[in-house]
Amino acid sequence: MAKRLKASERRATILAVAKVLFSDKGYHGVSVDEIATRLGVSPAILYRHFASKEELYEAVLNEIACKRESYVGVVVDSDGSFDDVLRRITRIYVDSVSRDPDYLRMELHSALEGSDATRQFFENRWKPFTDYIEFSLGEMSTRRDIAPVEPRVAALAFQGMIREALYAKCIYRSSRYVDMPLPELCDLLVDLFLQSIGYGVTARADTTNPAGQAR
Amino acid sequence: MLNADLEVDARGLNCPLPILRAKKGINSLASGQVMKVVATDPGSVKDMEAFCKQTGNEMLEASQNNGEYHFNIRKG
Repeated sequence: MAKRLKASERRATILAVAKVLFSDKGYHGVSVDEIATRLGVSPAILYRHFASKEELYEAVLNEIACKRESYVGVVVDSDGSFDDVLRRITRIYVDSVSRDPDYLRMELHSALEGSDATRQFFENRWKPFTDYIEFSLGEMSTRRDIAPVEPRVAALAFQGMIREALYAKCIYRSSRYVDMPLPELCDLLVDLFLQSIGYGVTARADTTNPAGQAR
Repeated sequence: MLNADLEVDARGLNCPLPILRAKKGINSLASGQVMKVVATDPGSVKDMEAFCKQTGNEMLEASQNNGEYHFNIRKG
């Protein structure tokens, strides 16, 4: 039955099964034999598609990278202000990641597994946020649109808040936030973040510079 | 060489900042004028194409040179 699969279908099936196993047990917790057993094929067939477990893991990550969310549309639709762009890119990211909890589990495993390349892969997905916040806050601080703030630390705080919200809702399924849908929770966290850096206060008080727009 | 009416420097910036810069730049131009964007983020190639498609502006030229990506975009 399985032997009738086309090569492309077989490859897709291997990637899907491997992703679930890697997300459950991490890279080191899964053997090629186990993936083959789960697929109902011999390891030899698996090696026909992927030369090693490492190559298979990279292929799973690459597939995720290909589905990288595009922020172009939301930036085009935004009014260009810091808060509007931040809110929109956060919604896109949260929506995309929450539909793929296996990805979050792989990210958690990778934090403990010590592979720099893999950890870098997951960190890169956060870069649009951290770079955007760090750069924009640096500019706004210089222009005194907001009170002085350490941009890198603020970016780290934001990443930590959103990541924790994703874990609480998608992995721990914490009953504490059961009455708050994830998008609403993240919107509240964006508000909290903006308040904490004093964004609205200065920007709204200064009517000559609407919404503290970043250049 | 094409003479651009506006040059936007997005070097050292990662998505979504180059797109934000491009959006603000193109908004300051009149129809038919040309904006040149210089970026270093490899993702900007795909992003700038999508930007042009979604905003109705025309990508006249996209090139790469020494790790820099140059885009000439005509406002639609």
